[in-house]
Amino acid sequence: MELVIVIILLLITLIVLTLAVFLIATIAELVKINRGLGGVLNGVAEIATKTAPVNGVLDAINGTLVAGRDLLEGLALKKAGPDAAGLVESCFPGEGQRFLQRIGRSGTVVPIGEDYPRGAAILNSLLGVEPAPAPPVAATQAAAPAPAPAAAGSSSGRISLRKRGFPSGGAPMGGGGMSMRPRTRAQDEPAPPPDGAPMGGGRISVKGSRPWE
Amino acid sequence: MLILWIMVIVLVVVLLALVVLLKGVLGAARSITPTVMAIDGVAAAGSKDLDAVIALVTTQNYISQVVAGLANYGGSLDVALPDA
Repeated sequence: MELVIVIILLLITLIVLTLAVFLIATIAELVKINRGLGGVLNGVAEIATKTAPVNGVLDAINGTLVAGRDLLEGLALKKAGPDAAGLVESCFPGEGQRFLQRIGRSGTVVPIGEDYPRGAAILNSLLGVEPAPAPPVAATQAAAPAPAPAAAGSSSGRISLRKRGFPSGGAPMGGGGMSMRPRTRAQDEPAPPPDGAPMGGGRISVKGSRPWE
Repeated sequence: MLILWIMVIVLVVVLLALVVLLKGVLGAARSITPTVMAIDGVAAAGSKDLDAVIALVTTQNYISQVVAGLANYGGSLDVALPDA
């Protein structure tokens, strides 16, 4: 046999061997990839299974919360009337306008602020507390014990829900304002109005203690 | 005879080209494997993280109770306070 033919046969054999080796290695890698993709598929299927009920649950939660919001907004609208949007705006800045849109009204929303004198007046009237000018700050802080009913004329009209518990029997409770936010008058309440001011007594705060702020 | 030697040269070139190409294919296949394994690990971890999703049902119950309490409170306020 001639040398060239031997070389050709050798080269053909080498080519076949090379093809076999590389293709077998590639097949092995593809098998590994296939196994890995099988694991991925299992994980994704688990994720899909576990997240399947999320939409329904979240929709239900959202529906419940919307119902609660509508309830409270309806109550605010019924009880506060034209002040409702301002109350909502004061509690949740930016929500007043959307509140108006939800109830089908339009206009400018003016925040009520932290105190709502009209609400305080209503509560005072319900509790039988006559609105009266608030005592000076020093006197308020010094008045630790509840004043006697005879002295109600100078300290009535303010009901504290935070230090002395709920009022009972309509007895006037001197001292703190009607605030749902824990604070002291000396720190952040404005100075008491002059004597004879119509709503100097009761104050209601529309800003509660909100931990997310 | 010359044709045979030309054939030898062609076969050598073919062998070299084949080695280069198959090496590229094998390298690409080997580079996919760790990526797939990493995705597998992430999918498993994500699936495990989603075990807490079941707590949403409890949250839903709590929210329903809170809103129910809110409704009762609102009803009391509706009775207690005068309308605007």
